[in-house]
Amino acid sequence: MFFHIVLERNMQLHPRHFGRDLRDKLVSKLMKDVEGTCSGRHGFIVAITGIESVGKGLIRDGTGFVTFPVKYQCVVFRPFKGEILEAVVSMVNKMGFFAEAGPVQIFVSNHLIPDDMEFQSGDVPNYTTSDGSVKIQKDSEVRLKIIGTRVDATEIFCIGTIKDDFLGVISDPGATS
Amino acid sequence: MSVEPLNRLVKLAARAFYDDITTKGDNLPKTGRSDNRGIAVVVLDALTRRQWVREEDLAKDLKLHTKQLRRTLRFFEEEKLITRDHRKETAKGAKIYNAAVAATADGHHTGKEGDEKIKLHTHSYCCLDYAQIYDVVRYRLHRMKKMLKDELDNKNTVQEYICPNCGKRYNALDAPQLVSMEDEYFHCEVCNGELVAESEKLTAQEMGDGDENARRRRRDKLEDMLKKQEAQLKPLTDQLNRVKDLPVPEFGNLQAWEARANAAARAANGDLNGNDPSKSSLGLGFGGTPMPFVGETKVEVAFSGIEEKGENIKSESANAPMKVLPPWMIKQGMNLTKEQRGEAKEEAKMDGSSAPSGSVDEKKSATESVDVKSIQDEYVKAYYAAILQRQREQEAANKEQELPSSSISNGAYNTSPQRQLGMKSKRDDQDEGDDVEWEEAAPAGNAIGNFKVNDLNVQADASGDDEDDDGIDWEEG
Ligand SMILES: [Zn+2]
Repeated sequence: MFFHIVLERNMQLHPRHFGRDLRDKLVSKLMKDVEGTCSGRHGFIVAITGIESVGKGLIRDGTGFVTFPVKYQCVVFRPFKGEILEAVVSMVNKMGFFAEAGPVQIFVSNHLIPDDMEFQSGDVPNYTTSDGSVKIQKDSEVRLKIIGTRVDATEIFCIGTIKDDFLGVISDPGATS
Repeated sequence: MSVEPLNRLVKLAARAFYDDITTKGDNLPKTGRSDNRGIAVVVLDALTRRQWVREEDLAKDLKLHTKQLRRTLRFFEEEKLITRDHRKETAKGAKIYNAAVAATADGHHTGKEGDEKIKLHTHSYCCLDYAQIYDVVRYRLHRMKKMLKDELDNKNTVQEYICPNCGKRYNALDAPQLVSMEDEYFHCEVCNGELVAESEKLTAQEMGDGDENARRRRRDKLEDMLKKQEAQLKPLTDQLNRVKDLPVPEFGNLQAWEARANAAARAANGDLNGNDPSKSSLGLGFGGTPMPFVGETKVEVAFSGIEEKGENIKSESANAPMKVLPPWMIKQGMNLTKEQRGEAKEEAKMDGSSAPSGSVDEKKSATESVDVKSIQDEYVKAYYAAILQRQREQEAANKEQELPSSSISNGAYNTSPQRQLGMKSKRDDQDEGDDVEWEEAAPAGNAIGNFKVNDLNVQADASGDDEDDDGIDWEEG
């Protein structure tokens, strides 16, 4: 799920940036630092949408670096148990398949793949129905439901299922090409 | 602090989950004499009528071998139903306990006198842990249901993997670390062995997996089991709801309980003497160490209670007058009151079973051992007669000793906040009558196979059952 929230971070800025563009430098450094990172608490920081406030800088003894407390608005993505996601399959093996929804990696184990889909090994390992009409392989897009998350300080990993109504392949590059 | 609904919960749970527990191990063929199923239920029932009890005494009361009883108790300890306490005792320690028992039994000694135990022995004591039992039963039901539901839906289950080489377990959340580049299996992080998915636990073994038919059969079976489970455990869940908001009786640890029981007994005696409602805290006067325990004043008693009471009576009545009589003491006084004795026998009994000191319970066990030989259907009659008689004797004794108490005790009784509990006395009667049967009855055979959950920490290994029928029979008496 996406959230638009305000976070705060202390930014250290090199003295060489002190000048007219100080604020721009601060923002671009902030973007470089935090976009794409993940915190267990808030999820993945997808994009910074604005700066709320930049506090008074504090000059560090000895180094000349200045620390600014910056409040910024950002979009975060945090997967939840029970959430439905659309994801791209990144790897298929006998134990199930891995898929990615943006920064989140999701594993779907084979017992959570519908019973009528069988694993086919080979050049392009895949799960296929007996009549061959539905196939899950690398780069397939699937709709899945999160049934569990493991949240570390810097990482979120999910397991999902496609064994439910309206879940499964939503387009099949193998069939169209 | 009525213990009765909780006792009922214990009894229901005993019949639901421990009816076919054998302490010898489950793989032995259950034949004839070696079959000790049902013992567990008997032991639990017996414990509902006691508080802390020395295990040898319990064994004697139940006519069980100490070893066998101990095995059963150990099992219940693991199941978190009871708490146990072991201690090395001299005669003095045994005396403290005996005094406590005597106190809860209204001055009638049950079992042996402490004087016989001169040497240092390790004695074990056990007691039901009601608060924990409530949680354990709820947790067990929850796990049973969740397991069936999950397997039924075959979703929301996190697949588990196990390394056949080193036995390390993983689940699907570990997947990223387990993928290997060489082949399409997961590999153990420790020994690089090929992990195998743990097969569906409940039904895969019997049914085999694979074809659609088997899958449907499995589903039907699971649904069936779930339904059965709900229906058969209904009395238990009902009872759980009933006790949900009740305060749980806390007996505390053995020392605290002993101290409290002795103090209570002394307080009751003092009450009869000094004719005045303040004795609850007089124990402090004896220089015992007060125990910091659930807000009541308790005393570590250094002497053997009853025998020395004579000397202490004076001091008791001396520092008597200005404190408030706590409810549990009022009850104690009521038990000793003459008028209520004869007419209000049921109420007295009910009260005893719910009073923290459990006086009548203990008395009951005493009478039990006397009457064991009598035929079953005469048992109840004899039991009531015995109680009545004992109460009369006691009244007479009390009258001689402590005449002035009756009026005040009556007053106390009438204003007692617990009085409305008298409503329940009818049911108590039934229950106790049944208890008699349960203690003696052989475990009823149960037909279809049972829910057994051997390990709360793992999973219910349920298989459909009918044991709640027992609970229902018992309920209707
Ligand atoms: Zn291993």
